[in-house]
Amino acid sequence: MLPLTIASLPRAMLHIDADAFFASCEQSRHPTLKGRPVVTGKERGVAASMSYEAKAAGVRRGMPLSQIRTVCPDAVLLPSDYETYSLLSLRLYNIVRRYTPDVEEYSIDECFADITGLQRPMRMNYARMAEAMKRDLDTELGFTFSVGLAPSKVVAKIASKWHKPSGLTIIQGRDLHRYLQHLSVADVWGIGAKTTAYLDKLGVHTALELARKDEAWVKYYFYKPMVEIWHELNGRSVIPLETAPKKSYQMIQKMKTFSPPSNDPAFVYAQLAKNIENACMKARRYNLAPQRVIFYLRTHDFDHRSIMVKLSRPTAFSHEILTCAEGVFSRIFHTGERYRSTGVLLTHLADCTVLQQDLFGVTAEVEKTREVYRAIDAIREKYGKHTVFLGSSFLAHQHKQHEGERGDAPERTRQLLKGETKRKRLGIPLFLGKVR
Amino acid sequence: MLHTYKNKIRAFYHKRRRMPTFSEIALLCGYKSRNSVTKLVRRLAAEGFVRKDPKGFLLPGTMYGNMKVLGVVAAGWPSPAEEELLDTMTLDEYLIENRDATYMLQVQGPSMKDAGIMDGDTVLVERTTNYKVGDIVVAEVDGEWTIKYLRKDRTGFYLEPANRDYSPLHPTSHLNVAAVVKAVIRKY
Repeated sequence: MLPLTIASLPRAMLHIDADAFFASCEQSRHPTLKGRPVVTGKERGVAASMSYEAKAAGVRRGMPLSQIRTVCPDAVLLPSDYETYSLLSLRLYNIVRRYTPDVEEYSIDECFADITGLQRPMRMNYARMAEAMKRDLDTELGFTFSVGLAPSKVVAKIASKWHKPSGLTIIQGRDLHRYLQHLSVADVWGIGAKTTAYLDKLGVHTALELARKDEAWVKYYFYKPMVEIWHELNGRSVIPLETAPKKSYQMIQKMKTFSPPSNDPAFVYAQLAKNIENACMKARRYNLAPQRVIFYLRTHDFDHRSIMVKLSRPTAFSHEILTCAEGVFSRIFHTGERYRSTGVLLTHLADCTVLQQDLFGVTAEVEKTREVYRAIDAIREKYGKHTVFLGSSFLAHQHKQHEGERGDAPERTRQLLKGETKRKRLGIPLFLGKVR
Repeated sequence: MLHTYKNKIRAFYHKRRRMPTFSEIALLCGYKSRNSVTKLVRRLAAEGFVRKDPKGFLLPGTMYGNMKVLGVVAAGWPSPAEEELLDTMTLDEYLIENRDATYMLQVQGPSMKDAGIMDGDTVLVERTTNYKVGDIVVAEVDGEWTIKYLRKDRTGFYLEPANRDYSPLHPTSHLNVAAVVKAVIRKY
């Protein structure tokens, strides 16, 4: 078969992916959990991450707790400890940065890195560098990672998935066609369900078939992102690494599930209000203000009720958005139904550092309100999000988010060291349990 | 009063990750005139709390309590000349070698008391495959962490406590060493 390219690694792109990250974090610091099916996400009521033992037993992401108990009765269900997961995530990036400055922090458990041209300063070839990185990560974090090395990001992602867990796969340009031959287009990074269905209609099923099409064909049927994927599949790196940290948001979403489900309008509204307050606070932190807001409720049987409101001017003041919510709440809340979660989505975010002068002289008033919120945010930053809140959210603050075992706190928050507080802890992960 | 000003400057630095300008110090401390700020800065600089770079911008000095490591204290006061030869480090830098591989553990029980590791202490450990006989290690025994000296005899590696009331642990199959102890922290 004809290769797609004769080059080996014109660019050396790495994709590094932690194996079952959250569950692995738990297993690595708690030896009793090793070799046992571990599932995190107890506080959400659905599996967020599961160890390979749990995967083998048939547990899937998003599976409700009750179902997990039937498919895998000996599963260990744990509440997520995001504090420790993010500490370990930072270590992942730091360790990769020992080898190259070009690192894209793609998500909490994976990153891309560009090691092109670093053989001489690092005194090793690309393969050895990938091996060394994997070795450092595995020993220093105490669980395994899957690493893919390839001429482009899209192919690196295919490579890291090739052998999981704990694989190291190197795909050189000249071997590319062998890997793409039997790979479905649905498994390519950036190709979703709709595009897969469309490609199917066009008679393209495998990644190799897509890569073999000519540029004109791709450009005729698709837009730019697909053209980029096509280049990358052919071993030409065109999607750059995004090394700058995220500074802004396209939209801000806050959603919280509560149990038991409720049909009390005041309680459900208070839950929504709490989400609105938290979303607005996040928007204010980034100096953003939404022009559109979507409120939604999820019923007991996972149905959605939602409504969108267009604002007359962008605002991130909680009380103003609450006023909108009050007006439309009765249109999405039906007395006959029980609800399990509420959410708010702030979109069309505008920069709110500059304030437009308007006809009715509201500007001065807004400036005053802004001062009030600045004070509120300062208090919440310092003493915790739940120190001050609007009366509308009162009922939601009265109770724990979940009754019963779902309300369990992660072990780290219960095992405080001397001098640590609820809000401030040492930035070093703690092995759990006591050591004798 | 000076103490409050220091706290305010420290808090500013902590929050913004840079030193305040002179006019920001005026705002922080409630001064109206620039001259008062200059006086305050001069005083703080004399103490070493802040420093100035060649252009006159402020740099953090000993703000975060970088303790001065003094020269050999022979008798009387250490000479300032000796002090200047030394650089200082934070307690973090002193205790931690490889930050990304360092973890904490809480100790329970007196099995390592003769090594100075007491019940309730926190130890800093480093995950590494580079351990030697004689190191104090954290190993996994029967699904629990244990902290012991790593020893070796004719039969292979085993774990030795630092307490006469406890007996050495000979692993039945494989000995899994997770980390090496680097420091002990005890806060009173």
